[in-house]
Amino acid sequence: MRMSSLILQTAVRFILPLTFLYAAYAALKGHNGPGGGFIAGLIASVGFCTYRMSYGDRAFHRLLPVHPRWLVFVGLGLAGAVASLPLLFGQPLLRSASTTLHLGGSEVHLVSSMAFDLGLLLVVVGVAVGMISRLGEELDR
Amino acid sequence: MTNDLLGLLVVIPLATSLATVALVRRPVPQRILGLVSLCSMLVLALSWLVRIRDGEVMVSQMGAWPAPFGITLVFDSLSGLLLCAGLLVTIACYVHGFSMVEPSTERRYFHPLMQLLIVGVNQSFLTGDLFNLFVAFEIMLMASYGLLAIGRTRRQMTQAYKYLLLNLVASTVFVITAGLVYGMTGTLNIADLARFVADRSNAGVPLPTGFTGLSVMLLVVFGLKGAFFPLWFWLPDTYHTCPISIAALFSGLLTKVGVYAVLRTFPLVFAAGDARDVVLPILAVSAGATMLLGVLGAVSQHNVRRILAVHVISQVGYMVFGISMMTTVGLAGALYYMIQHMVVKSSLFLCCGVMERHAGSDDLDEIGGLLKRHRWLGVAFFVAALSLVGVPPLSGFFGKLVIIRAGWTANWWLSAIGLVTGWLTLLSMLKIWTQGFWSPESGPRMNRGGDASGRVRCLRAAHTGIGILVVAAVLIGLAAEPIYDIAFHAAEQLTDPTTYIRAVDPLAAGSVLTASGGGG
Amino acid sequence: MTTVLAICVAVLVTVSVYLMLSRELKSVAMGVFALGHGANLSIIAMSGSPVLADGGLRNPPILGVADLVDPLPQALILTAIVINFAVMGFLLTLLIVTARRTGTINVDELATEDRPDGGRAGGDR
Repeated sequence: MRMSSLILQTAVRFILPLTFLYAAYAALKGHNGPGGGFIAGLIASVGFCTYRMSYGDRAFHRLLPVHPRWLVFVGLGLAGAVASLPLLFGQPLLRSASTTLHLGGSEVHLVSSMAFDLGLLLVVVGVAVGMISRLGEELDR
Repeated sequence: MTNDLLGLLVVIPLATSLATVALVRRPVPQRILGLVSLCSMLVLALSWLVRIRDGEVMVSQMGAWPAPFGITLVFDSLSGLLLCAGLLVTIACYVHGFSMVEPSTERRYFHPLMQLLIVGVNQSFLTGDLFNLFVAFEIMLMASYGLLAIGRTRRQMTQAYKYLLLNLVASTVFVITAGLVYGMTGTLNIADLARFVADRSNAGVPLPTGFTGLSVMLLVVFGLKGAFFPLWFWLPDTYHTCPISIAALFSGLLTKVGVYAVLRTFPLVFAAGDARDVVLPILAVSAGATMLLGVLGAVSQHNVRRILAVHVISQVGYMVFGISMMTTVGLAGALYYMIQHMVVKSSLFLCCGVMERHAGSDDLDEIGGLLKRHRWLGVAFFVAALSLVGVPPLSGFFGKLVIIRAGWTANWWLSAIGLVTGWLTLLSMLKIWTQGFWSPESGPRMNRGGDASGRVRCLRAAHTGIGILVVAAVLIGLAAEPIYDIAFHAAEQLTDPTTYIRAVDPLAAGSVLTASGGGG
Repeated sequence: MTTVLAICVAVLVTVSVYLMLSRELKSVAMGVFALGHGANLSIIAMSGSPVLADGGLRNPPILGVADLVDPLPQALILTAIVINFAVMGFLLTLLIVTARRTGTINVDELATEDRPDGGRAGGDR
């Protein structure tokens, strides 16, 4: 599944950082606005997949040196840990805590469900990238 | 009462699943971890069940969002009994799997999938939210798809499609129905739905138009998962192809989750008002047909595993029969029957696995004389089979007694079918018994198993699994009264939803409480 | 708006039923995915238009507070999409494994190939 055209390759160099930036934006905005870990994960995996399509498998391995399955593993572990942490404090599952940081002049609202979202992002990236590269390998044969 | 630790029943298997993924190349640590997780959950569930034996309800509001907004986990007598029975069955099948599942299969994520299945099953028993029930179903089904195709034989894969596609269509119908329920009633919380329905009927306001349609759609969804009469065709083939320990687990758990969903949602919500007149006859007819056709199918089979698989269907019929009465006694009987069935049916499947290993086949023509060589296997099978048939001191008897006696006044013809089904069950069990155990030792494949020392040693785990379940089956029969008491509490809470609503959503319960005068 | 959505749902479901009745498992899989999309659209249609006939906003039935579009159907759909996505991945992988193992994904051929080896003698890899 490799389309090694020069135009695509050049374009992907610009597209890749942009998709990651947009994914980060969506993930951070997710708590109070439209967005969130799932969407951000999908956007990021679109970036990964176009990269894989244009540069091939080997270059893709350099970009993402771990097997996608470990992204799923770490992501699920993170999300599960954040979700079950409140149990230790006698709170129900998935209870989120929040705090406001004062950095210089600006205020940053931090929520523990942010870490949950991050875990979700990793799971989605892992699943999507793993699935597409697995199915892509099959087509390459 | 609030008990926020309820979430542990979902978190423990999820964490174990992750841990076993990390250890995927090393079977022994995975087995130990899996067993520790299952046993700890069983201990937790049992201790909570003892605490709520007087009919209280434990609730945990996830994320601390109050009831109709967030997801509620509810541990009442109904969930508690089924959780305990389900975990017990899982432990036995899991232990049995140590000696039955091929090492190559075990390395293909057998243990993580098993724990994931338990996440789904526990969550569907615990959840108090219709949409979350869908999610739980999906988790359970994803794991079961994986487990079904785990050996990757050609036959398994072709059969997996049937199961997979049917369940996908059913899930889609479930999503659509959940959307329609929300559009019609404005809530998806089961307690809130029960309040909605009770308020309407107390005030004499008819339910929204089309509510009956929703009931029937849900009945189709749950009926397919639970293998009710017209929707049971997928079951025998599916259970025929996968490793026997997994088939035993599926027969004990998966169809029962479908029946549980009917038991949870229909008496409280979807069989109320006008829907009642439509749903109850459907359930009654389906129950009769499921019982009779299921057992006739079983009698006509000639293959131990197929006989047992088709029997699952006929036994589901008894539960539907109990539910179709919608009376306290009928529901209590259905629940008790469900619990004993989970234990007994799985133990029969586990016996079948050992029989296959000893005789090299599960075709009744090719096996025989097992009693002479493997006496304890014969005893275990005999006890479990008699319990399935319903012979007095054993558990099946009490379940059938309650259901058939309760049904005699409501639907005598169903009770009659139930009795006939009992006789035919005896016939099919005798078929396995006489040809498999009693008949003289013969057949070309007789000397296949049991001689190599490695094989005998590795069957010890399988025997342990069978032992756990057979002892449990006898105990359920001996302790019929305390278990039935809890089941009766559960049924009372289903026929009179005030306790349930009050526990889940104390604020909204006010309207119902004043209208029905505190309930009975 | 709801009418348009309803027509879309009808078309999607029709297409998916047609595809699911095909003998080729690939088409069946596509049919299942289309059905999933139909279900998601139908939830949107069920939740109704957020703008009322008089121009005001409809309150979410669960809240009773004004000035808010009901977020719940979207949450439901997002969940359903996630699940569909996972199932799609599984189904496609299963299709590929089947094709590699048996050389066909036609239902008839799979069924006939299934018959000769009878029982469970499929052989584990």
